[in-house]
Amino acid sequence: MEKLGDKLGMTRNITKEKLLHKGAEASLFYGHWFGKEVIFKHRIIKDYRIEQLDRKIRTVRTLNEARALIKVKEYRINTPQVYEIDTESSTIIMKYISGSKLKNLIKTLNISKKKEIFTNLGRIIAILHINGHIHGDITTSNIILTSSEDIFLIDFGLHDYSDSIEDKSVDIHLLKRVLISSHGDDFKLCFNAFLEGYKSEYRERGNNAYNDIIKNISIIETRGRYVKKENRL
Amino acid sequence: MKSNKIALGIESTAHTWGVGLVDFTGKVLSLVNDVFVPEKGGLHPALVREQHLNNFTRVINEALTQAKCSIKDINLLAFSQSPGLGPVLKIGALVARMLGQLLKIPIIGVNHCIAHIEIGRLMCNIDDPLSLYVSGGNTIVSAYESGRYQIFGETLDIPIGNLLDSFAREAEIPHPGGPKIENLAKKSKKYLTLPYVVKGMDLSFSGLFTAAKRLLESEKYEKEYNLCDIAFSLQETAFAMLTEVTERALAHTEKTEVLLTGGVAANKRLQQMINSISDEHNAKFEVVPLKYAGDNGAMIAWTGILRYKSKGEFNLTETIINPKERMDNISIPWRS
Repeated sequence: MEKLGDKLGMTRNITKEKLLHKGAEASLFYGHWFGKEVIFKHRIIKDYRIEQLDRKIRTVRTLNEARALIKVKEYRINTPQVYEIDTESSTIIMKYISGSKLKNLIKTLNISKKKEIFTNLGRIIAILHINGHIHGDITTSNIILTSSEDIFLIDFGLHDYSDSIEDKSVDIHLLKRVLISSHGDDFKLCFNAFLEGYKSEYRERGNNAYNDIIKNISIIETRGRYVKKENRL
Repeated sequence: MKSNKIALGIESTAHTWGVGLVDFTGKVLSLVNDVFVPEKGGLHPALVREQHLNNFTRVINEALTQAKCSIKDINLLAFSQSPGLGPVLKIGALVARMLGQLLKIPIIGVNHCIAHIEIGRLMCNIDDPLSLYVSGGNTIVSAYESGRYQIFGETLDIPIGNLLDSFAREAEIPHPGGPKIENLAKKSKKYLTLPYVVKGMDLSFSGLFTAAKRLLESEKYEKEYNLCDIAFSLQETAFAMLTEVTERALAHTEKTEVLLTGGVAANKRLQQMINSISDEHNAKFEVVPLKYAGDNGAMIAWTGILRYKSKGEFNLTETIINPKERMDNISIPWRS
């Protein structure tokens, strides 16, 4: 991180104050950027992989993420504003969003709130998909709910551009997997609400591609390993 | 007469016909394997089946002799019921049912993937690990949560061991390919770009296989790069993918122990990588000892004991094999 400070020639206007979260891939620091509250998302060097591969993965994902965070704002999807990108230290400086991860909130929400939030999430993902964006890692850890109940999408490191049904189905399949493994009790309710929202958004735009996308999710599942023969297509 | 009760476990999901004797306290009394080695190509179920049929009595007898037991000392039979090659699973089930009825002792069907984790917990003396199970037939990142071994990440196409074996065959490296690729890789530091495919916590290796194969077929092969360079690049890419998803699952589940098991767990480079992320997250790292990391009968016997102690025996109709059963479909009464 010193590199970033040096490069920008100052530390007075940019301050990294405390480590908020140490994820698998990146460390998130809280700080200030010209008076604004920000997050420094720093993709950490991973010693376990060779330097060449490490550098490539960090650079590609940093650029990918920053590009996507900026781009999807066009569709009025809430993502943190990007202020600064530094590929050298694989860091993105973005607006600090005050709120909680959906992962930690699910248990505290009542049924109708859960439905409402997942329906809205379904609409948001539909908007991404309709515009050819694949988030690539829709988990409940990557969704922030603010106190005014706005949904923010974060972590676009595995983002991709695609118009294929397959990629969109895989995107939803990953969310489904996370809901089953981490929120088993709420899975049915949340996932059904998600699909409702997803379908509604498509329908309202007179687009019925959602039929094929949702159908393809079960095809992906039957393609998985160790699926009983009778469930295969 | 032996003082502790003894279980005889039969592993019969793929190339290994394994018999293990384990007493109810978890002490392994014997472990004998007979492994099918294909002359060329992969495992042909009919040929594997034939070899197991020809060898099962010999292997059982050897296991009994090593443990200084008679077949009459056995109190419980366990066999691999799922997942695996149908014709091969059937023999294990058949032998277990036959012995069970002859000896009038209880019988338990065991899921092979769960058995790998249970023998790992026993041998490495750890309680609640995040497991990376890597073999010729499986690539699974799992952890115990809400009564089951939940799968957090897995391969979407071919398993890692299959990638290594298939590549070895393309490169005309004799069986077993994994250790030889590991040795070749040590002789190179030249990284050739290969596809790195991680989707959430899932992996895909089939594109990596095709790309590595193309490197072998290219005109530049043995001019600009050699087999060692491909082996090095293949390992580095595939293992970095495995390590990344394992780390993500570790951060997600917040487990404090990491278990590496399956045949590919023997690879030192993979061990080093998984060890590194375990350290990073202050988790204890354990590799299952080679003898117990690969397919073996002891893991089946031990898992059978756990299941028997908590939930009792199977009736005959419950012993039907299930070649496609996922480990996250099975409830784990001994841990809940």
